[in-house]
Amino acid sequence: MTTIVGIKTKDGVVLGSDRRASKGFFIGSKIVQKIAKIDDTLAVAIAGQLSDAEYIIKLAKAERRLMELRRGFPLTIKEATRLIANIAYSGLRNYQPYYVELLVAGVDREGAHVFAADMSGAITEEDFASSGSGSPIAYGVLESLYNKEVTNSQASEIASRAVSAAMERDPGSGNGINILAIPNLQKEVVA
Amino acid sequence: MSESQNSRFPFYGPQGRLVLVDSALEAVSRGATTIGIKTPNFAMIASQIKPTHPLMEPSEKIFPIDFHIGATGAGYIGDILQLIDTLRLESQKHRLTYETPIDVDSLAKHLSSFLHNFTSYAVRPQAASMIIVGEDQTGVQLYQVDPSGTFFRGSGFAIGQASDAALEVLTREYNKDMQLDQAIELGRKVIEKALGEKPIVETGIIEPGKAFRKIRTENA
Repeated sequence: MTTIVGIKTKDGVVLGSDRRASKGFFIGSKIVQKIAKIDDTLAVAIAGQLSDAEYIIKLAKAERRLMELRRGFPLTIKEATRLIANIAYSGLRNYQPYYVELLVAGVDREGAHVFAADMSGAITEEDFASSGSGSPIAYGVLESLYNKEVTNSQASEIASRAVSAAMERDPGSGNGINILAIPNLQKEVVA
Repeated sequence: MSESQNSRFPFYGPQGRLVLVDSALEAVSRGATTIGIKTPNFAMIASQIKPTHPLMEPSEKIFPIDFHIGATGAGYIGDILQLIDTLRLESQKHRLTYETPIDVDSLAKHLSSFLHNFTSYAVRPQAASMIIVGEDQTGVQLYQVDPSGTFFRGSGFAIGQASDAALEVLTREYNKDMQLDQAIELGRKVIEKALGEKPIVETGIIEPGKAFRKIRTENA
């Protein structure tokens, strides 16, 4: 169930999601927040078992803060994604998989990044990505509208169109759209 | 002081010092003279290789830890080797967990807490002071870690035999604008002056973007 999308842009990253939580054929909630902000530069979009995703995110948030305090500078987006994927993989190896597909997106010193991670522990870096039951529909929109030159505000519009297209045809997605844009402030300072 | 207090395991001495740690430091001060130098453009470590008999190959004293980090130590060579392995293990663990090279600060802190464990229990603190050099997101780094778990960050360190004299020479001759070959020469000179004889020295170098590498200076 769920539709989530993530887009890498010229000036940051954008995450989008629907707001429906399904309980079988029943709509469990119409106002679910599927985009979790880990801090000002990193956010995660959740598809799958909400409880599993919440646990992984809490753990990742704590580990990320701890690492930043210990070494004096934050984890890069890739480091944070690898950390999250390792937690997910440890579940798989113990025959108790975390039932999740995650989009990890954010900005660091190297720029903007969107990663797709799932319970298998694999991570892939993407220009744009989608997960959840509505993702085939969302991908159709993303494939036709995305280009490498999009800005955060254009990508917010694309993300919104992708999620709403999925909501039209996927019964697992619906009840409105959430968008989160993370600007790459470091890049603006340099430019 | 009662009999039972007298025969207690000696953590703290009468002056409030950790007796076992002091003994470890004493062992370190009899080890090979070893130094570390850092400038903004590079860092190097150098250690004296104590001459053995002609048929024996001298032991290795400069150790690559990871692509971007190297370390050396003074004290019992067995303890040094164990600590080197701890450092190597931790840097590979970081690569597994975060898929990136570890930063030198995290590595020094890990070694420090590892060593600190030996000060809290009825075990033998490791008789080795370590000097770590490396390059990471924060630039070129130089650390010294002692058996007590104390660690220092700086531009010049000396440990082992005659380390006071070595540090004195190093402090006097240090210049942050010096070139790599000057630093290598200074390293050799510092050890020679401290010992009062021409030593065999092994040197390790880290420069930004390059792998840690070793060179050996024979009785030059």
